[in-house]
Amino acid sequence: MRRNTPLITLLTGAALGVIVLVASMLSTPSSTPVSYSAAATSSPASPAAAAPASTSAPAATPASTSAPVTEPSLAPSSPASPAVSPSAAAASAPAPVAKSPARATYAGRVGGGGGSVAVAVHGNQVVAYVCNGSTVEAWLKGTADGGRLVMTGKNRARLSAKYSSGKLTGDVVAHGTDYSFSVPVVAKPSGLYRATAVVRGATVKAGWIVLPDGTQVGSFEDNSDSTDPSAVEAPVLDVGTGTARAGDLILRATPVDGLTGSGF
Amino acid sequence: MTAHPGASAPLPPARAASGAAKLVVPCLIGALVALTLGIYGRLHHPTGIAINIAGFSSPGSVKSWLATGAAVLALVQVGSALVMYGKVPRVTAPSWIGDLHKWSGRIAFLLTVPVAIHCLYALGFQHYSTRVLLHSLFGCAFFGAFTVKMLILPKQGLRGWVLPLVGAVVFALLIAIWLTSAYWFFSTFGIKR
Repeated sequence: MRRNTPLITLLTGAALGVIVLVASMLSTPSSTPVSYSAAATSSPASPAAAAPASTSAPAATPASTSAPVTEPSLAPSSPASPAVSPSAAAASAPAPVAKSPARATYAGRVGGGGGSVAVAVHGNQVVAYVCNGSTVEAWLKGTADGGRLVMTGKNRARLSAKYSSGKLTGDVVAHGTDYSFSVPVVAKPSGLYRATAVVRGATVKAGWIVLPDGTQVGSFEDNSDSTDPSAVEAPVLDVGTGTARAGDLILRATPVDGLTGSGF
Repeated sequence: MTAHPGASAPLPPARAASGAAKLVVPCLIGALVALTLGIYGRLHHPTGIAINIAGFSSPGSVKSWLATGAAVLALVQVGSALVMYGKVPRVTAPSWIGDLHKWSGRIAFLLTVPVAIHCLYALGFQHYSTRVLLHSLFGCAFFGAFTVKMLILPKQGLRGWVLPLVGAVVFALLIAIWLTSAYWFFSTFGIKR
């Protein structure tokens, strides 16, 4: 009896782990590993999936008709096998995909290459940053509804975009200039980073957009509470340590990550 | 005691097994636990969400507080173990010290489980910074080391230094996990609920 208690401890922990895991799975909206990434990774396997999917298609049809919005948004994600996407959507996501929260960070260059934009979508909350590496930069906040984003920022900055099949397409206006963009989902260490600090009573705020090819743009406001803060090029962000050095000030950057909700 | 790796042939009972041999199976199982967690964390597509506990501002703060609770109990573990081994001058072990050690350990372990599941399910095994890589490695190793500790506890005839050593490894890993997560969280975002 006494000899067994450590084993009981272990098994109790394992059982608790299973309970928490199952509860987590149940609380995860059915399509969450975000439809685009799931569809993108599963598309190579689609020939195998096609056979059972087609046989189960009649049973699945009610679900897919109840969610007509899902099909157009999902179909382009697996062009290699268009037949599989409706049934796959119905099998893995009986709930309408457009309503379920998406969690991802999008980043890329704006049209014309004059800067970069990063948008972190975490459920209904969205944080975005647009920056040309020096004077033009804006932070925006807003909401996501059905794959459509509407965001605003200081000095009449605004962004509207919609996402489907792993791309976010739209326009952002900052400093009176309209940039259009179509940017993909990125994974860490690419993405959006933000750092704030208070130096001699002034709030300094820095933002960086790190692209998948490793390039980064960032801006640095040395008094971001003023109505029209002036921005300069940010010091290089060390993505490994999440720090950047501006003179004798060390900035500690936080990822603004739609997947994990960090920085929201 | 019953399982002998690769010894399917009927051999004389395990009496000949030395102290070291008794550690082989627990260590293999512990390594398997650590590897399983790591591989799951790497292969599973992180969902970014898991169950949340009401009253806290974010999953990060829940986990930080649970981990802090476990770390405090881990300090109780070391203290009670030192007393049990008579390493604290002028303190004789009270009768309840064993129970204190067992129950603080059990509760600490149970506190870490939801945190680990959230890490593995929502975030996965990541390596985008040194802190995150170390945290992922230590997290997997901790549950392996804890498994080893639990499996060798009932064994008789171990060298006297084995349990303290394994206990120290478990403690060090837990503190390293705490430093790379909760301490980082609190120092980055402030101490908040």
